[in-house]
Amino acid sequence: MKRERPNSFVIAEAGKCIGCKACELACFAVHNQDNGVAASVGTITMPVLPRLYVIRSDSFAMPVQCRHCENAPCAGVCPVQAIRQEEGAILIDEDRCIGCKACAMACPFGAVSLYKSYGNGQEIEQPYLKEQQNGRLERKTRIIAYKCDLCRNIASAANTVSEETVTSVAVDQSGRLTENGGGSLPACVSVCPEQALTLVSPILGESRSRTAADVGSLRSLRL
Amino acid sequence: MTNLIPEKKGSSVMPNIDPIIHIDKQLCTGCRRCASVCPVDAITGEAGTPQSIDAHRCVICGQCIQACTAYAAESEPSLASRAEKLRQRGQVSSVREPLFAAYSTGHGLELKEALADPKRHKVVQCAPVIRVSLAEEFGLPFGTLTPGKMAAALRRLNFDRVYDTNFGADVTIMEEGSELIGRVMSGERLPMFTSCCPAWVKHAETTAPQLLEHLSSCKSPMQMIGALVKTYSAEVDGVDPADILSVAVMPCTCKKFEAGREEMNVDGHQEVDLVITTRELAQLIKDKGIDFINLPDEPFDSPLGKYSGAGTIFGATGGVMEAAIRTGYELMTHESIPNLQLDFIRGDEGIRTAAVQIGDLELKVAMVAGLKYVSSILEQVAEGTCPYHFIEVMACPEGCVSGGGQPKLLLETQRKSAYQARKSSIYRHDANQKVRKSHENPAIIKLYKDFLGEPLGHASHHLLHTKFISRSAKEELS
Repeated sequence: MKRERPNSFVIAEAGKCIGCKACELACFAVHNQDNGVAASVGTITMPVLPRLYVIRSDSFAMPVQCRHCENAPCAGVCPVQAIRQEEGAILIDEDRCIGCKACAMACPFGAVSLYKSYGNGQEIEQPYLKEQQNGRLERKTRIIAYKCDLCRNIASAANTVSEETVTSVAVDQSGRLTENGGGSLPACVSVCPEQALTLVSPILGESRSRTAADVGSLRSLRL
Repeated sequence: MTNLIPEKKGSSVMPNIDPIIHIDKQLCTGCRRCASVCPVDAITGEAGTPQSIDAHRCVICGQCIQACTAYAAESEPSLASRAEKLRQRGQVSSVREPLFAAYSTGHGLELKEALADPKRHKVVQCAPVIRVSLAEEFGLPFGTLTPGKMAAALRRLNFDRVYDTNFGADVTIMEEGSELIGRVMSGERLPMFTSCCPAWVKHAETTAPQLLEHLSSCKSPMQMIGALVKTYSAEVDGVDPADILSVAVMPCTCKKFEAGREEMNVDGHQEVDLVITTRELAQLIKDKGIDFINLPDEPFDSPLGKYSGAGTIFGATGGVMEAAIRTGYELMTHESIPNLQLDFIRGDEGIRTAAVQIGDLELKVAMVAGLKYVSSILEQVAEGTCPYHFIEVMACPEGCVSGGGQPKLLLETQRKSAYQARKSSIYRHDANQKVRKSHENPAIIKLYKDFLGEPLGHASHHLLHTKFISRSAKEELS
């Protein structure tokens, strides 16, 4: 019998997060290699659009991102079936997305954002829809939904986790972000200087009555 | 200080009062990662609130700029517009990369305007490590070596002469090596510290002014080239020094401070008028629409563009020491040095020491990479117990390869491999040079024959040596 395994997700400990936004930057970097983003900040030609966000209050900071819900409400409301469950993660097919915002409204965590779509570092224009700009009709930029995909569609996400792994990358002497030390952690987890982020891969039934939303439940989940 | 750009009086001189390193309070999240890499504890503030920089302590190394990840997000527009922030930061308006909280005063905008002036004779020099890191700004792998493309790009930016700080490094070895030999022979003012890292010099002036006589009196290679540009090269080209715009491309943010020091002038002319960083050069190349990756390789200009392998390795920690020993050994023993590649000096530890047998002398040397490691050595010198003859100090963790003006990495996890690749590239460049000792560089031999006379001679003292000043807090307040 096939064993059911809940989706993995990344969660932060607010007590550890220092609000540096290194996770946001890393998330953006590894997801935009097709947009010309390499190792150096100077290769960026578009706004930084991460798939998780550091939220702040007077007393704490912590990144918030997709919880990869088992009965994902975003998928339930997507009118074009652009949101799917694939190998333990909830993913958005960005080509299919029509930017309707239903997923963003349905998400209980505010983990979905809508931003312009980019290709080769340039805004992607729509083929038909136009808007008035500078006194004339211009093709409107495509807008799509972005959210955490656990770095699933990235060949490898610069997921270097240990000093040894970093050294193994050094041998390759490459500035490419595709270099991987063999790890499989999402980029945000691997770059956090305070180890505030954790990739949680729960096993069904072990969280008992507590929900995954409770940070304290991390202790009872088998990582 | 004399202003060398008549049309823009006062603006070309980089004033000492500009702290150069800034933290944008609108963007700073108070994570204090900058404070954790600051070697002199110059960054202050409560966690979670915007940080401040103590300009007196700050050595302008720019490591905070490299570490900062707090950027202006698309989703939360900051109070000032992006265009206004770029202008305030001295950056050209075409810059598209994100704006971070920690940044250095830019001179790209000012340089762009100056380069468009046909009346000026525009001269540029590039530090050894720009050629091993510039390509990263165009998406090429870490450590890609591009001296030829760099020279070609600088010509297309409208520079009349493309010179090389590596040549200045060779001159430094001639002067500093001779100075070391003199001090070792006389036993005076030992140990001798290198003086080519301006952040180290500022730190020594701030925290150990009583030990300044232990610093070599040599100006840095950048300033030496600056002095020669406005004298030797001006003479060769038949140009009035007052018409020359002397520009340096550096991996270092503190070089902006060094160029603005009052004593860094020759016959009333500022030696280096403008300093831009590796990142700023890349921004100017993109601004002009130059296709860097497909540029042909072009040579540097003569006479200040011919360099040896010894000049090249200045960019890595231990490089100055290795270059100095290659020449010092031969000057002292009049014999060829048995091995040119001094592996025992290479490495990346904070402090490395070695003993080198030169004839009858056992020369004891130390290399310090990272200012946080220098305090123990300074204490030994103050107590008179320091066992070394010669000490190289570089403020940044791995020397200039890890300078504050170098390409900024998106992922902290790649820092180690980036520095290692840049360093390997420098050593590879050295190994492929026909001439690998400063004193065997034909252009250096000609410089001394035609212009300077001899190392430590009258002309050298006038152009290439300087004095350092105390910057202790007590004196600054008075």
